[in-house]
Amino acid sequence: MTDTDDILRVNDLSTRFFTEQGQVNAVDELELRIERGEVFGIVGESGSGKSVTARSVIDLIDAPGEIVDGEIWFDDAELAERVREDAPDAVDGSFVDLLSVSSAVRQSLRGTSFSMIFQDPESSFNPSLTVGEQLAEAVEVQRRASANPRSTKAKTDSAEYSFGNLLLSTVLPSQQFVTEESRERAIELLELVGIPDPVERADEYPHEYSGGMLQRAMIAQALAGEPDVLIADEPTTALDVTIQAQILDLLDDLQTETGMTILLITHNLGVVARMCDRVGVMYAGEIVERGTLEDVFDDHVHPYTEGLLGSIPELGGANGQLEPIGGNVPSLLDHEMEDRCHFADRCPMAMEDCLDHPPEFDAAGSEDHTVRCVLATQSYTEREALPPNYFGDAERPAGEKHAEPAHSDGEQPAERTRTTISDSGGESR
Amino acid sequence: MSSDDNRATSSASAELATGIETDTPEGEPLVRVENLKKYFWENDSLLDRLLGDEPVAVQAVDGVSFEIREGETLGLVGESGCGKSTTGETLLRLQEPTDGRVEFAGTNVYEMEGSDLTAFRREAQVVFQDPFSSLDPRMTIGDIVQQPLDIHDVGADEERRERVRNLLERVGLSVDQLDRYPHEFSGGQRQRIGIARALALEPEFLVLDEPTSALDVSVQAQVLNLLEDLQAEFDLTYLLISHDLSVIRHICDRVAVMYLGEIVEIGPVEELFEDPKHPYTKALLESVPRATTDERERDRETLAGDVPSPRDPPSGCRFRTRCPMVIPPEELDIDQETYRELMTVRERIESRDISLETVGDDDQFSVEDGSVPEADIPAFVAALKRRLFDEPLPPHHDEIVETALTELAASNWEDAAAILRTEYESVCERDHPGLGNNTHSVACHLYGTAADSDSAVDPNSWRG
Repeated sequence: MTDTDDILRVNDLSTRFFTEQGQVNAVDELELRIERGEVFGIVGESGSGKSVTARSVIDLIDAPGEIVDGEIWFDDAELAERVREDAPDAVDGSFVDLLSVSSAVRQSLRGTSFSMIFQDPESSFNPSLTVGEQLAEAVEVQRRASANPRSTKAKTDSAEYSFGNLLLSTVLPSQQFVTEESRERAIELLELVGIPDPVERADEYPHEYSGGMLQRAMIAQALAGEPDVLIADEPTTALDVTIQAQILDLLDDLQTETGMTILLITHNLGVVARMCDRVGVMYAGEIVERGTLEDVFDDHVHPYTEGLLGSIPELGGANGQLEPIGGNVPSLLDHEMEDRCHFADRCPMAMEDCLDHPPEFDAAGSEDHTVRCVLATQSYTEREALPPNYFGDAERPAGEKHAEPAHSDGEQPAERTRTTISDSGGESR
Repeated sequence: MSSDDNRATSSASAELATGIETDTPEGEPLVRVENLKKYFWENDSLLDRLLGDEPVAVQAVDGVSFEIREGETLGLVGESGCGKSTTGETLLRLQEPTDGRVEFAGTNVYEMEGSDLTAFRREAQVVFQDPFSSLDPRMTIGDIVQQPLDIHDVGADEERRERVRNLLERVGLSVDQLDRYPHEFSGGQRQRIGIARALALEPEFLVLDEPTSALDVSVQAQVLNLLEDLQAEFDLTYLLISHDLSVIRHICDRVAVMYLGEIVEIGPVEELFEDPKHPYTKALLESVPRATTDERERDRETLAGDVPSPRDPPSGCRFRTRCPMVIPPEELDIDQETYRELMTVRERIESRDISLETVGDDDQFSVEDGSVPEADIPAFVAALKRRLFDEPLPPHHDEIVETALTELAASNWEDAAAILRTEYESVCERDHPGLGNNTHSVACHLYGTAADSDSAVDPNSWRG
C-alpha cells in the first residue's frame, strides 16, 4: 500500500441484516477505493445497499445489522502510530484497518476523521435545544476528544465539567457541555455554511429554521470536527430544487476550501453529475459499474446503468417514450438470491453466461472503469440469449401461494411481486 | 389510516346517478378555474376568539385561474408549499374553496348537489402521492379497486369483478394477485393499484398529485409510460401536479408554474421550457441538476433565500424578495446586484430581523433602551454596514444607507425603513403583476404593458 493518493480502501465488505424473514445481504463483498480530496458518488435505487455501505464505513450499523466481513483501510499516519502497539496486524504503512481496531478507537474517529450528514434535517436535530447549542455540543465533544485523544477519563476530570456543572446541567439542560468558546465556534460554523445572521440564528430552535437552513446547520455540525471524510447520505433529497442547488453549491465550495473527501450517496443522477469525480452504481448490494463520470455516463457497459439513465425524463427535450427497466428492485434475502448476475432477471440482454456471478471486468475508458457484466468481454448474441420467460414465475418467493403455475397466454406480468424489504434494510433511518 | 384514503372513498358519495353530459362544445375547456382561492385559518378556535386573537389566514391558493381542455395534460409545478396540491384538491371539491369558481363541463362544481355531485365524483378522480398511505391495509387489492364500483352501484356483482380483473391487467398487475393485501406490493405496484382504482368508474378527468415522487427512477418511468398509454386509450384529461420539472416536461402539454399560491407563468410546455420568461421559472429550470457529464461546467444562477411565509406574503409581486431581476426605480443609477442586496437589507429592516445587540466585537456597543450612546454611533453604523454588505456601496447609496442605519442606532426601525423606501421603492412591491390571457402568459413587471414605463430593466439583458 504505497499509493498515498487513497484515503480509504474498502475490501470485501459484507454487511448483513438478520431479520425475521431471513438474512438480508445488504452489502455483499464490496470493494471501494476513494482518493483523498475527491468526491465519490454512490448511486442506486432504494434498497440497493448504498446507505448501508456509507453507514458501514462510519460504523453506524445497528442490530439486527452486522458487518460480517471485510477490511476498511483508512490512511492516517498519526492513527497508525497510535494503534501500532495494540494491534500491529491492523496497521499497514500509514493505513489502519478500522474493522480490526477496538471500537473505542473507531468511535474516536467519528467527527474528527469521518463525519456524516443525513437525508432528513428535520428529524436529525433535537427539537428542544437551540441549533446553536447543538452545534456547540458537537464542537465541544470534538474539542475534548482532540485534547485527550486516548483517555476518556481525562474528559470528565476537567474543572469546567465539575460536579457543580453537572448538577446545574440537570436543572438547565441547555447548560450541558457548552462553553463560551464552543459557542463562538458554532457561530463561526453557521457563518461558514452561509446562514445569514449566525448570531441570532444560533439562538433559534430547529422549527424556526427552514428545511434548507437546517440542512446547512447539519453540514455545519458535521464540519465541527474538521473531518477528513464527509459522508453525505442523500443530502438534498428532502429539499426543493432551488434549495438543492444552494446546498450542492455549498458542499462544492466547502470541499474546495477544506480539501476534504466526500462520499456522496444519492439516487439522483443529476446530483451525481453535478458533484462527483468518480461514481459507483450500486445494485443489489454490489457496485455493478464504476469509473469516472464520463465512463459511467457516456461509456457505460452495464445494462442497468443504461436503464437507469434511460429512465430519466429529459429536461431539454421530449425524449419520446421512456425506456424503463422492467420489474422491481430485487429482494436481498439470502435464500432468494442466486449465485448469478443479480440483474439478469430484469436485463434485456441476459445470456447464458449471466447465470454465473460475474466478476468485475475492466472496461474501455479510464483506468478506473470496471463493470460487473459479461458484456465487457463479449458482445450480445441472440444465440446465447436466455429465453424471455426464463426467470418467469419460478422466481417467485415461496411465500406467495397464489401464484399460478404459468401465464399461459404467454404475456409476462410486467412486474413480479416480491415482498419488499424496504423496512428491514436499506433506507432505514 | 390516512386522511387521503378517507377522502378518496368519501369523495365517491353513495348515490347512483346519471352521468354528467361531458361532451363539451368544440373549443370549450373541460375544466375552467376562475380566481380560485383557498385560505386556511389559524388561531380560529373558540378559545382564540375568547382571548381576542385575530385569526390568521394562510393563503395557500390565492386567485388562481386556468383552463384544461379535453384530452390534454396540464402540469402544475412549484416548490413545496406553493399551493399546487391544495389547488388540485380544491378544484375536485375535496376542500371547500374560500372564493372562486370551478366549472367542470360547463357546470359550477361548488353549486352541484345530489345526483349532479355524485356524477361529478364519477367523472373526476384522483391519484395520490403516497402509495403507502392511500390504500387501506385491511382490504385486498381486488376490494380496493372494486370499492368505487360498489359505492356507485355500477353493474352486477359478476360484472364488477370482471371489470376489476380487466383494470388490474390493464395497469400491469396480474389477476392472480387480486386477493393480496397492499403490503405485499412494492411502491410502483401500489401506485398502479391506485391508478386502477381511479380508473374504475371510467372518469373523464384525473388529478394526478405527485404520482411518481415516492418511486425510484426506473419504476417512475414505468408509471409515466403507463399514464401516457392510458390517456391515449381512454381519452383522459389530466391535471398533473409535480415538483419534478423533468416529469412535467415529459408528460404535459401545457404547464402552469406556481409560486406562493399564485400562477406566475403558464404556457405550452415546449415554449415554457425553451424560452422561460418569469425569473422564477428561469431559476427553477436552472436549478435542476442534469444527468450529463457537462453538468459541472454548466452556468447556474441559483436563487438565494427561502420562500416567504404564506401567512404574510410580500406585497406586489410575491417573488420580489428573491428575484434577481427586481426592478429599480427608473431614475436610479444602480447596478442590479447592488440593488438586490439593498432590497434584501430593506426587507430585513422592515421585518426587524437584525439583532442590534450583537453588532461589533464582544459587547463593543452598549445598547441601552434600544439606543447606542451618541459617541458610538459612527462606529456602530460602520460595524453594522460591514455586517450587512459584503462589498462597499457606491458613494451615493452609501450615504443613504448610513442615514438609515443611524436611525437604527436609536432603534427607530420605522424611520430607517421609511428612508430606504422613499429611495428604493420598486414597482415590484407597489403593483401586483397580472397574468395575461395569452397562450403563454407571465405575471411579471418585466413583461408588463401597462407598467412599461416603470420597467427599467430590459428583460433580455438577463440570460436565461
